[in-house]
Amino acid sequence: MRLPKLLAGLALASLGLAACGTSTGGTSNKGDIKIGVELPESGGETSNGIPTLNGVKFAVDQTKTVEGYTLKVSNFDDAVNGVHDPQKGAQNVQQLVDDSKVLGMIGPFNSSVARAEIPISNRAHLVQISPANTNQCLTKDIYIPQSLSGVPDVDCKAAGVPFPKDLRPTGTNNYFRVATTDDFQGPAMSDYAYKTLNLKKVGVASDAEAYGKGIADTFTIRFQKDGGTVVKRQDFPNASKVSDFKPFLRAAQKAGAEAIYFGGTDSNNACVVRNQMKAAGFADSAPFFGGDGIVTDKCKSDAAAAAVGMAGTVATVAAEKVSGSQATIDAFKKAYPNSSDYGAYTMPAYDATKILIAAIGRAIKANNGSMPKRQQVLDQMYKTDYTGVLGHTSFDDKGDTTNKVITIYGIKDASKGWDVISAVDLSKGL
Amino acid sequence: MSGTLGTRLFLAGITLVLAVLLLPKAINDPGFFLQIVIYGTADGAIFALIALGYTMVYGIIELINFAHGDIFTLGYFIAIPLIGAFGLSEGSPVSIGMIVVLLVVTAIVMVIDGGINVVIERVAYRPLRSAPRLAILITAVGVSFILEGIMYVWQGANNVHFPDLLPDTRFPLFGASLAVKDIIVIVSALVLVVLLNVFINGTKLGKAMRATAQDREAAQLMGININRTIAATFFIGAALAAAGGIIFGLYFNNIRFDEGFIAGLFAFTAAVFGGIGNIQGAALGGLFIGLVQAFSNSYYQAALTDVWIFAILILVLVFRPAGLLGMQVPEK
Repeated sequence: MRLPKLLAGLALASLGLAACGTSTGGTSNKGDIKIGVELPESGGETSNGIPTLNGVKFAVDQTKTVEGYTLKVSNFDDAVNGVHDPQKGAQNVQQLVDDSKVLGMIGPFNSSVARAEIPISNRAHLVQISPANTNQCLTKDIYIPQSLSGVPDVDCKAAGVPFPKDLRPTGTNNYFRVATTDDFQGPAMSDYAYKTLNLKKVGVASDAEAYGKGIADTFTIRFQKDGGTVVKRQDFPNASKVSDFKPFLRAAQKAGAEAIYFGGTDSNNACVVRNQMKAAGFADSAPFFGGDGIVTDKCKSDAAAAAVGMAGTVATVAAEKVSGSQATIDAFKKAYPNSSDYGAYTMPAYDATKILIAAIGRAIKANNGSMPKRQQVLDQMYKTDYTGVLGHTSFDDKGDTTNKVITIYGIKDASKGWDVISAVDLSKGL
Repeated sequence: MSGTLGTRLFLAGITLVLAVLLLPKAINDPGFFLQIVIYGTADGAIFALIALGYTMVYGIIELINFAHGDIFTLGYFIAIPLIGAFGLSEGSPVSIGMIVVLLVVTAIVMVIDGGINVVIERVAYRPLRSAPRLAILITAVGVSFILEGIMYVWQGANNVHFPDLLPDTRFPLFGASLAVKDIIVIVSALVLVVLLNVFINGTKLGKAMRATAQDREAAQLMGININRTIAATFFIGAALAAAGGIIFGLYFNNIRFDEGFIAGLFAFTAAVFGGIGNIQGAALGGLFIGLVQAFSNSYYQAALTDVWIFAILILVLVFRPAGLLGMQVPEK
């Protein structure tokens, strides 16, 4: 009796192997499962959405099947006249919700679109994983916590956006993201400036808006905790209409500042500040720091001759800086050879897709091999314990990744754009 | 400076407060203080050039020409393709030829911008000259929006870069550093103010402007062509704003389509501060606002800069409603 049982086991195992090896074969196919994708993919957004979509496609092409089901991509574009559109995004998600084969979706790209989409996916208990959203108010009530800024909590409402609970009519969460949140940008840049560049004195200013002042405050308090000194701190209301920042810059330079941190966006003249540093007495080599609001082409052109030496934080992981990820990146670039095929969010989308597929796989197993309900996939998402090209990812109860890595982009060469220059890992807490 | 004893005491008081606030800082670090004065003077010179057009137009037809700040921005935008057409670009060597080209470009832009302002006056303001004040004021706001809309479509929402043509040379000066750019801004503004003064006080057209400003009907009875005189005022005001736009471009290298509007509001404030209708007053007011901004942004809180400017303005107007140097507007 023992022998036949063993043989049967071997036979089963070889069947399983065969299923893996010939996953394109239809013998074990139980039907299709669709991975929804919702990204801005046309017009001026092409360079955002298409490389991200490629990451999803690459992950699906690699995996092909899950527990006997064939994986398909169901893709929607939220760009209207070339610009991402929350309304369009919401319609797209409704279409994904209406398709019973869709067990989860990747997207969107923009936080404003996410705000319109989450209520719709939430009612359907559909898992939504964004590869790119970084606005903290999609998952947290507090925009800038006092613990990071040293000034009283600024909540989401005060920052002009709804609370997470307002986006989730069922009262439970269905939204996850593989990027961390913007409130860590200031602390990460502080660590980079103090620990990596060894700077001790910095001048800090902001455009006095919720985003800009928030990251300037969090930078300031972290830099002081790190052991440095903020020698001059200013906020400029109407910064977009201020033409001369030299009086502030000169005051900071006189007080010994080795660099300037500006919390604000390019449209509020952030990089005009950079442009004027030299005229205010700073050395050409003095760095200029900011958040993702300066990591733009427009910022580079505003800074003009002073572009080299700028550095800005982005609240996502750059796979290039994760050890062991290069092989996957190389494989991707082999499959998608054009330089425009690959972007900053290709690998985050790849990992997000792999995480979703793994959750679907566990849900199918838990459902004894048959098509799971969306709620079952959602339950499995919280059990995510995944190591991929972004490093190790799991999710907290709000849907945020525990992999809190901020990437530092900088301009090293005037003839090129923004490049990944460093990464700061804040996963172990602040 | 004339006035009642109270006014004099008040002005003395303001001077004293400023001295108490700034003198210790000046003594503590004279080099830094001088540096801030240089920055403030250069910024103020540009405000002054915009304020001149505001004050001239108000002086002659009592119109707050809200579109004036946009005329300034327009000068900046028109100059960029012209500079390119003359073969100048960033990195061109500094030479006599470049200076000549810049002067020629400035002259052309002054004429174009002046011409545009004359057309605006003809189309939007002249028909309303005898209408209630409010009608023409709203028209001016409308013209401002129209100009901003056109400039937005033409140049986009982002900062537009002006070629950085002037040398980046700086000279040490008592612990501060004086840049060639600072000198050029301050000197060219000074020259334009002096020329304008000579023009207003020394030429026939200038005399006609002063007469029209004083009493339009009497001037007309004396044979002055009112329409031509007012058109000339708009032309000169816009030409000075255009020159200001180019100087701004050479100095700061960045402007956005709507930035001139706020600069214009500050310039208008400067004109009121100095005494509306008064050329020297506008120049003085511009300088004052430039300096207060620079002091506030360096020694105090940038967030309170506008509070300082308008608090001082309110105090000046409460105690001296005609502004520092007195108004020169039509007699009622």
